[in-house]
Amino acid sequence: MNILQRIKNKVRSRSIHVAYVDVGSCNGCDIEVLACLAPRYDIEQYGIFVHNNPREADVLLVIGAYTPGWEEKLAMVWDKIPSPKAAITIGNCPISGCLFDRKGSFVDPPVKKHIPIAAEVPGCPPRPTEILQAIMSVRDSVFFDWEEEHP
Amino acid sequence: MGSSLIWYLREFARAEWIKKFLFAKTAPLVTPSYFRGFPEPTGKTCQHALFCMMACPAPGAIEVVHAGDGWIPKIHKGHCIRCGLCVEACPNGVLKSGRILETLEREGTSLLFSFRIAIDKELCTGCGNCCTACPVNKQVDAQMGAGGHSSNDEVIMRVQEGDIVVIHEDKCTGCKTCEMSCPNGAIRIARILEGYQQPVQEELQ
Ligand code: SF4
Ligand code: SF4
Ligand code: SF4
Ligand code: SF4
Repeated sequence: MNILQRIKNKVRSRSIHVAYVDVGSCNGCDIEVLACLAPRYDIEQYGIFVHNNPREADVLLVIGAYTPGWEEKLAMVWDKIPSPKAAITIGNCPISGCLFDRKGSFVDPPVKKHIPIAAEVPGCPPRPTEILQAIMSVRDSVFFDWEEEHP
Repeated sequence: MGSSLIWYLREFARAEWIKKFLFAKTAPLVTPSYFRGFPEPTGKTCQHALFCMMACPAPGAIEVVHAGDGWIPKIHKGHCIRCGLCVEACPNGVLKSGRILETLEREGTSLLFSFRIAIDKELCTGCGNCCTACPVNKQVDAQMGAGGHSSNDEVIMRVQEGDIVVIHEDKCTGCKTCEMSCPNGAIRIARILEGYQQPVQEELQ
């Protein structure tokens, strides 16, 4: 690994840009993601910025149980994100459908079967600290050695 | 104007300000111990009362599984919503989460279960499958045959003159075996969970 690659790795993992999509949630998890931005948790002190624009993003946060309206659309959003990229699901909904996965409902979890997911954060909703932890662990596992993995 | 500019520059050149600007971080965030986490075992023996599964509002969140000779409740992350109802419902204190158990003891609260049997007379054909399938009925009247007729007054329900009659709703354990055995989906069991408080007496505290 040459010095340039080393610098690229370092810079990438120190500046994570985040976009989030809500594919059919109750809004509970959205609020917790929002709480990460507040001074109490202060996501920006870790160099994580929320832009909500997939073309600028490194990390996609997926929230919600995947309603029929998101067929193709979620994959489209995912394709727009330039590599290196990682998707993290927030909450029980994208893992299991949470309380909505009952007979007669239209949700289609898990989100894992629609786009590749790097990490899942369980909880209904998960705490902001858990969301932060997930983003940081993805930062260390995906972005930190990207240059070695993909020369 | 000139003096205020100088004042600003001097203010920003203070070592303390520069240090704060560059190195300020919020304190590391720890989850307080009283936050409700995913329920954890306390080490007490599970008696297979299954109250946790009855109380749990989230599909597929808790399962009581075999562990060696006994049973143990297993929480599935990704399904569990950390509501803590299973902790409250367990009569044997097998699970713990946050300060729920302490609060229960202090406040003298408990959960009561009861079950209601609803039979849709329009759909019911009086076949008696539910009566013969019911494990409580089997225990009370081992002689009950196909058809659900019984001369025993202690059964939960029986077929009388071609109609199903519920006699002892209070004996129902909420197992829902009858729901599964009914060919017409006519019988439904409703689970009723009541919060109950028995204030702890002053002198005992
Ligand atoms: S996991 Fe819970 S809080 Fe989050 S969107 Fe689903 S139902 Fe709402
Ligand atoms: S905490 Fe609530 S959702 Fe989780 S297993 Fe217990 S009763 Fe079910
Ligand atoms: S739920 Fe179980 S105990 Fe209650 S009536 Fe049905 S079979 Fe009997
Ligand atoms: S099994 Fe269903 S149809 Fe038959 S007696 Fe019971 S409720 Fe009626």
